[in-house]
Amino acid sequence: MTAAQPAVVAGAAATPRLRDTGALVFLAELSRALAVSLDLHQTLTQAITRVRDFLEVEGIALFLLDAASQVLECRVSAGPIDVTGMRLAVGQGVVGQTLAQDCTQIVAQAQDDPRLWRGSDEASGFITRSLVCAPLRTAAGPIGVIEIVNRRDGVPFSAADAELLELVAAPAALAINNARLAGELLEQQRLKRELDLARHLQKSLLPRRRRDGFPVLGVNRPAHEMSGDFYDYFELPGGDIGFVIGDIAGKGLDAALLMMRAASLLRWIGKEHPAPALWLARANEELCESAREGRFVCAVVGYCDRAATRVRFANAGFPPVLVLHGGQYRQYLADGPPLGIVREVGFDEHEVALDGGALYAFSDGATDVRGSDGRPIGLAGLRALIERHAQATPKARLRSLLGELRRLHLVDDTTFLLIEAAQAERPELLFTRSLPARAESMRGLRAELRAVFDQQAIEPRLRDELVLAVDEACTNVIRHGYGPDCEGPLTVRATRCAATLTLEIVDEAPAVDPASLRPGTLGECRCGGLGIALIDRIMDDWRIEPAADGRGNRLVLHKHIDSWAGEEAADA
Amino acid sequence: MSAMANAVTRERSDGAILVRLRGEVDLSWSQQVRRAVLDAFDAGLAVGIDLADVAYIDSSGIAALVEGLQQGRARGQRFALVAPSAAVRAVLELARLDRVFDIVDTPAALGGTG
Repeated sequence: MTAAQPAVVAGAAATPRLRDTGALVFLAELSRALAVSLDLHQTLTQAITRVRDFLEVEGIALFLLDAASQVLECRVSAGPIDVTGMRLAVGQGVVGQTLAQDCTQIVAQAQDDPRLWRGSDEASGFITRSLVCAPLRTAAGPIGVIEIVNRRDGVPFSAADAELLELVAAPAALAINNARLAGELLEQQRLKRELDLARHLQKSLLPRRRRDGFPVLGVNRPAHEMSGDFYDYFELPGGDIGFVIGDIAGKGLDAALLMMRAASLLRWIGKEHPAPALWLARANEELCESAREGRFVCAVVGYCDRAATRVRFANAGFPPVLVLHGGQYRQYLADGPPLGIVREVGFDEHEVALDGGALYAFSDGATDVRGSDGRPIGLAGLRALIERHAQATPKARLRSLLGELRRLHLVDDTTFLLIEAAQAERPELLFTRSLPARAESMRGLRAELRAVFDQQAIEPRLRDELVLAVDEACTNVIRHGYGPDCEGPLTVRATRCAATLTLEIVDEAPAVDPASLRPGTLGECRCGGLGIALIDRIMDDWRIEPAADGRGNRLVLHKHIDSWAGEEAADA
Repeated sequence: MSAMANAVTRERSDGAILVRLRGEVDLSWSQQVRRAVLDAFDAGLAVGIDLADVAYIDSSGIAALVEGLQQGRARGQRFALVAPSAAVRAVLELARLDRVFDIVDTPAALGGTG
């Protein structure tokens, strides 16, 4: 620890105090007290008082360097004048020079020494006659200075005093440094815990994956702890699905916090179901009011129907939206600037017939990925990746895409939103029966259907409603499809796909005009009107179309079965 | 679901006509039901349709009841459904007709005030 020799300024005779019998015992005790200290400030305060008395000096002070400001501040002191809180620049006065030179300074006769900073004495009336300063050394350089002032016996300080002070400085430096490292570690752990919490909260904002043939799918891979990207989707009354994908300019905690705000803002506006362009315009006004300088939000918002046949969307500064249909790409560039920059901007919107195609929206992290040549893969590279996995199911495709991007080296948060008609998880056939289209057939059919629905754990009330819906559908075929003078076959089929029950009623009667089948008004009992009204109330949706071979009609009814959805979730 | 045979009976009770339906009222015999309901008004008394033993009813059966309701109003005779089973109530609710009909718990509640 004696890297630098004490700079002996005045030739005072070295007193052999170090060899006093008590000296080693004292140092050993001091070292131990500092080493096991739990409260460093308190330990140091007690220690310097003991050092002061042991060294028989009038005053003692310990200065610590603030690395950021390069200012030395007195943290503890003992003596006639309390100098705690005194601040000195590195190089200022003897204390400052001790640190700057990382070298013990002895001032035997203070009155004559130009190095002395006299501000303190002038303010306090104390007279500094003689002093010694020793640096508090660590492997990373000096972290402070310990100073003693005026021997009580009036003798100027000597090299022996300096040596003794250096011996005291060593364990003090060690203890302070250890405490600092421990504090930093604690702080790091605390920060990490908070980041983990924030990341958790952020993840919890992303919607849960839906399993029941839901057409919107999203994935988000943050490049760091927190993501500036987000996506969202939600069902609206009437069956449409609202979706959002967004990206906050910048990274880090404040981008992540703005992301949370933008995500909830866009969700709440979307739930009111405004046109996509208006949706963006409203979010823009709100974000312009509150977003900090230089922070903005890029987003695509829109709606699709559950079968993903049509999509309406608008794009604020987000990368182009890709629609892949029949092997052809269509590309939709941003319809306006990012949100939160200029007020009162308008956005255009698009309505696209998806019809079995797929819509991809993705944050720029997906195209900024570096290819093997070290350059971003760009839109062309991403298209090639998408095509390579086009045959996979939507879920598997997104997983593969992210996997490939990660192998290529993700440099930014990466988020995908995919809209595509859910590929049929193979529907499970629950029931099929062909029977003559006669009113007398119905009772037996109803009994069979009840048994099937019971077996599928559909609760009795819903079971009876579903049976009624099938009965009404069949009755309509019997009465109006074939008519009183004609009889033909009728096929009833029930299938289950995830949590959706599909009921099909196929006949060979003359084609029905779907427009003629409308639910009757209440109390109206024109032919078939009430039956259709009942079907309409019981089922989530229904449609009639020409049967597959062009002869007859196919009526398709759908119902989401909540208890099945519960089973699906339990499987997940 | 008990396999109750379909049946329609008619009786006079406390100055009212009570038409008792049993079984599953569907298209296969709803015309008979309709006829029985409309004929019940001939006596000029209050008409009650007892539905306690009806395990199932479809829109054609409901239509017969609606016709009874309209007939009663046209002729100024009381028309009520008596003790409809849970299955019947469920369909009436589904058709939003549960508030439209006069529903009583027992034939006695019909009151013979035609």
